[in-house]
Amino acid sequence: MVRLAVICLYLSLVACKPPDTDILVFAVANAPSVLDPRLAGDAVSERTNALLYDRLVTLDEQGRAQPQMATWRALGNDHYRLSLLPSRAPFWNGRLPDAQDVAATYRSLLDPTLGSPHGGALANIRTVAVVNDGDVDFLLKKPDPSFVSRLTVGIVPAQAATGRDLGRHPIGSGPFAFVGWRDDGGVLLRRRSDGQQVAMVPVADPTMRTLKLLRGEAHLLQNDLPSELYGYLAGTSGLTLEEGPGTTFAYIGFNLDDAVLSSRDVRAAIAHAIDRDAIIRYLFGGRAHKAESVLRPQHWAGASDLLAYRYDPQRARDHLRRAGYDEQHPLTLSYKTSTDPFRLRIAHVLQSQLAAVGIDLKVSSYEWGTFFGDIKAGRFQMYSLAWVGVNTPDILRYAFHSESVPPGGANRGRYRSGEVDALIERAERADPAQAAQLYAAVQQRVHDDLVYVPLWYESNIAVARGLEGYVPGHDGNYRALANTRMTHVQSN
Amino acid sequence: MTVRLISQLIDTLIVLFGVSTLVFLLLVLIPGDPVDVVLGESAQAADREAMRAALGLDRPLPERWLKFYVDLAHGDLGDSLVRLQPVTDLIRQRLPATLQLAAAAFVLVLLIAMPLGIIAARHRGRWPDSLAQTFALVGVSIPNFWLGPLLVLLFSVYLGWTPVSGNLESGSLVLPAITLGLSMAAITTRMMRSSLLEIESQPFLRTARCKGLSEGAVMLRHSLPNAMLPVITVLGLQLGGLLAGAVITEVVFSWPGIGSLLVDAIRQRDYPVVQGVVLFIALSYVLVNRLSDTLAAWLDPRIRERA
Repeated sequence: MVRLAVICLYLSLVACKPPDTDILVFAVANAPSVLDPRLAGDAVSERTNALLYDRLVTLDEQGRAQPQMATWRALGNDHYRLSLLPSRAPFWNGRLPDAQDVAATYRSLLDPTLGSPHGGALANIRTVAVVNDGDVDFLLKKPDPSFVSRLTVGIVPAQAATGRDLGRHPIGSGPFAFVGWRDDGGVLLRRRSDGQQVAMVPVADPTMRTLKLLRGEAHLLQNDLPSELYGYLAGTSGLTLEEGPGTTFAYIGFNLDDAVLSSRDVRAAIAHAIDRDAIIRYLFGGRAHKAESVLRPQHWAGASDLLAYRYDPQRARDHLRRAGYDEQHPLTLSYKTSTDPFRLRIAHVLQSQLAAVGIDLKVSSYEWGTFFGDIKAGRFQMYSLAWVGVNTPDILRYAFHSESVPPGGANRGRYRSGEVDALIERAERADPAQAAQLYAAVQQRVHDDLVYVPLWYESNIAVARGLEGYVPGHDGNYRALANTRMTHVQSN
Repeated sequence: MTVRLISQLIDTLIVLFGVSTLVFLLLVLIPGDPVDVVLGESAQAADREAMRAALGLDRPLPERWLKFYVDLAHGDLGDSLVRLQPVTDLIRQRLPATLQLAAAAFVLVLLIAMPLGIIAARHRGRWPDSLAQTFALVGVSIPNFWLGPLLVLLFSVYLGWTPVSGNLESGSLVLPAITLGLSMAAITTRMMRSSLLEIESQPFLRTARCKGLSEGAVMLRHSLPNAMLPVITVLGLQLGGLLAGAVITEVVFSWPGIGSLLVDAIRQRDYPVVQGVVLFIALSYVLVNRLSDTLAAWLDPRIRERA
């Protein structure tokens, strides 16, 4: 019996393969869940799909559309013609993507039975018409000068566009081809230019992800690590740390329908009481940059001349006094956040900083569904969240237009300003140069009204072992994998 | 025996009905909207309604409850909202890894706990007993989320003997099996020891010794079979827990089993997967416990007679 048990144990322990040292292993917090660009909603799936599928256009660091598969011209203010480039890459089966594929992709995105999370952003499309093999016309319901910047969904083959099978068996024309799903829940890709294989391997625990890199079982990590681990990894020989500015915008939101927080003096007191420099230095290890608006100043629609609410405890106390609060009448506010340990740590630092000016902040943390449900329903005074992957100025309507109060959008603070509404509507109809000025004016007004306390943009950080040429994309994309080389550094 | 089996089957069905109804209702009541999971926040109202209808969420609760049971009777646990696969396929894909880990940990429990419990009982109050008791205390006290990384630091990073995590490389099962098996072995060791000591004063053992049987023969033929009954009950509970997926161990070691599937589904708010996996876990628990009850009854005629 014991002998049998020992044999069983031995067989089960050794019944695995030796590692393949030629595969570039990218350890990610979660594996991509669906490899269909029309259906992907989570960040890892979207970034992986961008490797597998080419798009009509991509957005550069300023958020401007750049041709990837197609160029475009406006035939009217509600009519765009997209012309496929002769140099576009073929699908993995060798067939060149044509206008039928483009039309089928975008028609399926508009079909509610597909259930695409991108359908909402494309709702202005009236029809998609094939002109010839290389040209597709998009006719809109109403004029939209920045329409082309929405055409960033990967193109799928027309014959596969009707079903949902692509999610498990993708066929694209991107720089990487799909090899298969791995038994560890990850996915194996092959670079089409030279055959280099890349495995996206899920390792949920950040400590284990770090140990995997130290041991040489993984070659690349990106983001999702506690800041103290970055400090440790930066000082470890054999590892390289690449940091790039990010677009993830963190903020403190207010409920403007709340009797206390409807006072701008109270909001200004909070803004001046927060020492962002200290938080960035000590909690982020310097790996974040102060933010003033949801769009970065470098964005074509960004506002570059917003004045920061600087850390000034005395000024914060003055604002509080003007609002009717002092030591005899202290201000108590509630602050909701998720159960993420790092977000909780930030919440407790904010609590301490606000206490220094006489604001008693009650911090409550909730499981994500409850927390987010409360925020959407307006059951909060203050909360903190971040906007991830913001690339277009549509965010300004979505977050600040009075029609966007949930469930119509994400104006969670219930901000209502006729002036801002009018500016957003004018910007949406204006040519790009004028739109940039109008969007900057929107951000100036939102900043002045302190709808949010803007906090910081979190940097994108990649740590690599035995790799050359990997730099994280500005929005966290993995596109640099197309040019990354393995240098075969030995593990410890 | 047949009457007992039929009665157990009816009990099992009642428990499963209760668990499945509870799971169904809890998922209806918890905050969050499955339509948000599929379409995101920015979807148009018309698209949201269409998706709500497609998912059957616009139907009255009793109708949804009935449909849930009809589907369940056909082995249909629905489709994942995030992975776009049938939930039964996902469970089928993840089950082998969980079974592999459970088997290794269970064998480890048997190999450690049985001899250690016997040694501790036979040398009661002496140093082997103290050693076994200390092992049991340490094993029970160390949480898996701490023991796992410690073992990885020692055996993977410093010594380089085993992989850090995953299930594809040689030796990748060793550390998860030890992490999972150690605390269970500790509990079973204590149970084995106390059970052996409890029957030590029984008359049948005195009779056996008076007949002139050696201590080894007394232990093998009389003490162990009688002491095994409570141990089998504990082992049954532990095996149920193992098959249900050792959630923390699977997550720490990126082991692609049922436990990590459940954690991913909760994080992604993939309601059908959560529902399906919880049901599967409940079923595993109930079946393994019924199996251990049956085994105990087969070993002990007194239990059969009481039934």
